[in-house]
Amino acid sequence: MEIAVLPEVTSAGVIIKAIIILAIISAVAGFGTYLERKVLAFMQRRLGPMHVGPFGLLQIAADGIKLFTKEDIVPQNANKLIFQIAPSITAATAFIALAAVPVFPDFTIPEWIPLLGGVFVPSIAADINVGVLFILGMMAAGLYGPLLAGMAQANKWGIIGSARTAIQFLSYEVVTGLSILAPIMLVGSLSLVDFNEYQTGGFASWMVWQQPVAFILFLIAGFAETNRTPFDLLENEAEVISGYATEYSGMRWGMFFIGEYANMITVSVIAAVMFMGGYNDLGFIAGWLIVILKIAFIFFLMLWVRASWPHIRPDQLMWLCWKVLMPIAVINIVITGFVMMV
Amino acid sequence: MSNEITIKIDGVEYKTQEGEYILNAARANDIFIPAICYLTRCSPTLACRICLVEADGKRVYACNAKAKDGMDVTTTTEEILEERRAIMEVYDVNHPLQCGVCDQSGECELQNYTLEMGVDSQSYMIPDSKRESTNWSSVLHYDAGLCIVCERCTTVCKDMIGDAAIKTGPRGGATLDKGLKESMPKDAYSMWNKLQKSVIVPSNGTGETNCSDCGECVAVCPVGALVSRDFVYTTNAWDLKRTPATCAHCSSGCQIYYETKPTSIEDSTEKIYRVTNEWNYVSLCGAGRFGYDFENRVEGKDIEAFDRAVEALQKADSIRFNSVITNEEALMLQTLKEKFGTKLVNPDAYAFQNFLRAYGRPAGKLLYGSDFKEIMSSDFVISVGASLRNDNPNARYAFNNIQKMNKGAGLYFHPVGDKVIEGLGKSVECFYHKAGLEEAALYLILDLFADRDKLPQETIDYIESFHTKGTKIVKEKVMESVTETVIDSETGESKEVSKKIPKMVEKEVEVNENALVTLLGGADDFADKFAKMMKKKEDFALIVGEDLYFHPKATNLATLVSLIESACGMKVAMIPPKTNSLGVALICDLDESANGYTVGYNEAGDFRLSALGDGDLDMPAMNQQEGTLTNMNKRVVPTNAALEYNGYELNDLMSALKSGRKLTIHWTEMLGNKKGFQAIEFDALPNGYTNSGEENRGYLLKNIGKRAGSVKVEKFDETLSLDGEIAYRCNPQRQFSDFTDKAHQIFETFSLYASPSKAQLLGEKVEIDFGGEVLVCGVVVDERMGGDIVKIPDFKSTKDIYSLFGRDRFKTVTIREV
Amino acid sequence: MSLEQFKNRSVGTQTYKMVDYEPTPDTGMGRFQRVVSRTFRGELFVGLYVTMREMINALFGGGMHTTKYPFEKLPISPRYRAIHDMLRLLESGHYRCIGCGLCEKICISDCIKMDTRYDENQRKEVTEYTINFGRCIFCGYCAEVCPELAIVHGQRYETASEQRASFSIFDDMLTPKDALGQQQEFDGFGAVSPNADDNIKKTPLAY
Repeated sequence: MEIAVLPEVTSAGVIIKAIIILAIISAVAGFGTYLERKVLAFMQRRLGPMHVGPFGLLQIAADGIKLFTKEDIVPQNANKLIFQIAPSITAATAFIALAAVPVFPDFTIPEWIPLLGGVFVPSIAADINVGVLFILGMMAAGLYGPLLAGMAQANKWGIIGSARTAIQFLSYEVVTGLSILAPIMLVGSLSLVDFNEYQTGGFASWMVWQQPVAFILFLIAGFAETNRTPFDLLENEAEVISGYATEYSGMRWGMFFIGEYANMITVSVIAAVMFMGGYNDLGFIAGWLIVILKIAFIFFLMLWVRASWPHIRPDQLMWLCWKVLMPIAVINIVITGFVMMV
Repeated sequence: MSNEITIKIDGVEYKTQEGEYILNAARANDIFIPAICYLTRCSPTLACRICLVEADGKRVYACNAKAKDGMDVTTTTEEILEERRAIMEVYDVNHPLQCGVCDQSGECELQNYTLEMGVDSQSYMIPDSKRESTNWSSVLHYDAGLCIVCERCTTVCKDMIGDAAIKTGPRGGATLDKGLKESMPKDAYSMWNKLQKSVIVPSNGTGETNCSDCGECVAVCPVGALVSRDFVYTTNAWDLKRTPATCAHCSSGCQIYYETKPTSIEDSTEKIYRVTNEWNYVSLCGAGRFGYDFENRVEGKDIEAFDRAVEALQKADSIRFNSVITNEEALMLQTLKEKFGTKLVNPDAYAFQNFLRAYGRPAGKLLYGSDFKEIMSSDFVISVGASLRNDNPNARYAFNNIQKMNKGAGLYFHPVGDKVIEGLGKSVECFYHKAGLEEAALYLILDLFADRDKLPQETIDYIESFHTKGTKIVKEKVMESVTETVIDSETGESKEVSKKIPKMVEKEVEVNENALVTLLGGADDFADKFAKMMKKKEDFALIVGEDLYFHPKATNLATLVSLIESACGMKVAMIPPKTNSLGVALICDLDESANGYTVGYNEAGDFRLSALGDGDLDMPAMNQQEGTLTNMNKRVVPTNAALEYNGYELNDLMSALKSGRKLTIHWTEMLGNKKGFQAIEFDALPNGYTNSGEENRGYLLKNIGKRAGSVKVEKFDETLSLDGEIAYRCNPQRQFSDFTDKAHQIFETFSLYASPSKAQLLGEKVEIDFGGEVLVCGVVVDERMGGDIVKIPDFKSTKDIYSLFGRDRFKTVTIREV
Repeated sequence: MSLEQFKNRSVGTQTYKMVDYEPTPDTGMGRFQRVVSRTFRGELFVGLYVTMREMINALFGGGMHTTKYPFEKLPISPRYRAIHDMLRLLESGHYRCIGCGLCEKICISDCIKMDTRYDENQRKEVTEYTINFGRCIFCGYCAEVCPELAIVHGQRYETASEQRASFSIFDDMLTPKDALGQQQEFDGFGAVSPNADDNIKKTPLAY
């Protein structure tokens, strides 16, 4: 295997990368809401947003303007500080997690651009050697957002929502961790770059063929971690109004959703990089393109599932986690271990 | 009275009175027999024939067949149902299908019975004739097209009101096919035959009725043919809210319903649209039916005026008021008198109070012995001192009803000629005596009716002193037997035939001449007439009117009335002068005249409380307040507020003076402290009639008086009789007080009323000189008046007519044309 | 009438049919078997298939169901109960309302009010007529009860407005005089049934 010699990663490059991630992922998260509405509409034989801009594309802008200009209401008996901080926690953790995710291939800013010319921008903002652990850790820390939001707002639906947050996120964190433990054992590294390197052998070398069970477990847990149907119990309207987000309005409410969509992208990226061949070229298709397609497919899958399946009961959620998924994940690790030993 | 008997209706036994009509017996026992033309208290018309029933196997009309002991009545058989259905079908022939706009829709008996009889198709037809709708008077609207000629209007006008202003006239419709007589049910055919020929017309031959405008015909009309002009097409019956109340205009205190609804879409304040009554049991007059919009609309509470009123009441030396107030208000005023020693001045109630006291002294009574309900069942009625037509319409209805229903007779003593009373019946004898001779009239009654054993010798001697023996030549019809020989033209035989031929014979008879009759202006042949009138009469009644209370010798008159009641066995009822004069007379200690600072309640005063909207502080009018009234039937009857009132009430003033109750009606119980009244709370007082016509309104006053004392009657004083130009204090019909005057459908003006002959001499406008004070007013011809006495109304309190007349009702005046 | 049928409150047990009903397993093994069978039956993928099929059909097969309201409007049923119209007589152009007040009476939300009077032609004239659309529940009783087919439900269902009064004034509800030709006869509640003639017995008029 030829080892590529990478240019030096400068702090300027990292900052530029961070800004790019923030800007693009925020925009993409917004665009995600548009996509979600569109896809759900198509699946229900509707048109979805149509009137703002061509095909309703500017709907995101309209929504953004609305969210920014809406009155920020803080309930009288709420814990003001926590209430106001909580949405930032969700958004922040989601973006911090993205720091260790290779989002785009690396590139060097052309020389002719003043000031920044020649700066190398890495594919990953912080290529730490515990990348996966860091991502999982940050996503787990993200549970503080809904938890504190629900508890701070002095609303019984909020309390129920945050209780559900606690049990759901903590439980599924276990499954996520265990499910990707087996691939980590195979790769022998926690760096996503190493995962990518591990799958350079084309379609057949994808991790998903070696670890199909882990992949499925990771997807299921990913749905739960990102609070998506069929595990959207935190803010299920029929049961708990809007759960932890009941009392939120305006941009604070919007930040939860940016966080949620950022998390969705994170999960999609991880799934794409760890299980589906990463950003290696696939035949004639360039690596940067194929990874975007893969991420988009996982993202679409989340929307597709939302359109198709009903959500489950909280007790079924717990049952599924502790009695089904966790044992399977453990068995998967053990089998993987045996196979590696033998 | 009649005996109780048992009859069987549809197999069930019921008790009723002998001589009662089957229909009334059934109604009293809540059994339904359909009837359109029958009116309780009036004679059966037999126009509709729908009340057909089977009694002991024979078909009879329930409205005019009297119940006999053991009678077995079947209300429905197949033939009867068929007949009734046919009758309803016939009624529906050519009846305009305009229920949508008809005013009666929703309470129409034609609609109801058409549905009741299940008429869902029509088998009969006849070409229609054009029938115009017309206005009969300023209030009556008649749509002949809707009329089913049930004749209820004519019946009530004749039997109850006494005007007989309408009758059936020719219709000019197509004649029925004779063949129908065979093919259709008998009763339906004869009903149709009559219906097709007639329509209702004013009986004076013109297009207009010259009547009292009482509107009772409107009330009884089962369809929308007769409607008051003001009400036509303004609202539907079902939109109106009915408030049971008591009429506030005269002492009859009739039960009425105020029917209210918001004025219009823009103006949501309630307005009275009409007044209705239980016409089977009570008849209204024109004032009651049309004089309803006398409410005092007040925007809000005027605190400054209220404070001034409280101050005025505290410093008042006298309170002047009239009798258009409730018992509760009278009690409040009496409380003020007890607290501050204020004088209470009310001329009409004061005179009545004194008369009642004088009347009650010999017999130990609080009130007159009988009432107008009882009087209606008598068969000989005498009226003294009341201008029946004007003073109290119900007294006149009673007087008339006795003539029509009980085959009764009547004597009418009054100085003012009245063509209506003359026309009530053949056995009504009118004495138009000189004003002031009421005592003589009462003596004549004593003479004619008294049981000599019950009279003191002194009085018998006095009466006998008027009798003189004389002779008179009388023509008499004698039947003479004559025998004739007649030759039969065919056989040639001669026969002796005996025949009776009438022959006039002159005869000299000894007659008992009565100077009283002559004095009172009675007819020469009164004695004979009276003998005829007295035939088969058992039940006598006396109506006493206002003239007596305002007579200079009122005390003696009262004593005489009491003597008549005991010696002649007569039912005596009095007409209280104004709405609640009886209540005020019983509740308040009245004073003769006012002095010092005077507060007027609906009357003139230094400070004026007024329900007319023209005073210093507004008060609620009678249709805006709850309370009780004491009517001439000695009943304490409740009345309710039909319209809202936003201002202050008398009770609020009382509260400010530290003697108020929470609500005005909390005073109702307090009435129990007064003689005759009972301590019953207002909400417990009923206000209605039962199916058998029993009056279930309020409660009757107890007639317990002081211990009886003996009082001697005085001889009458002939010098009191008035000569010359005489004015009589008397309101035109439909006017009683400022409140009737305020109503927009009462058109009678404040003028001098005179008979046509007198009016000719007077001109259009006159000046009446009361020996110093002068009243100027127009002259109105009252075609139904007779004689030379003129009437001056007293309904306008601002004109202060009571002080012009003083303690009299007749006054010698000088009238000059201006 | 007997009340028996109302006393039976187990509504529908006699007529309802259970679909795909299988008893809940009560042993742990049974439940495990059910989980396994459900997991591998692939029903979840049927769900995914259905939504994907619909999406493809909608995007490429012309199966999109959206009507682009307010640019497109679907025709509404004649029985639809929208804002009321007051119709005119076609011959004279006079409004049909005779002021009978039946609509006012039958209105269960008590929102119809009218003022009438006796006019110079001895007819009942409707001087004012309003419907309070803040209270109206569009039950259609007024149109059903109207004997003259004067008040009917029109086709105006877009009732957002700054003033409710925009709809409730008699003259606004009336067919404009110049649009008499376009006046539609109403087929909904209160209209004469097509076989009305067969159901009534005619009044004889053969003289």
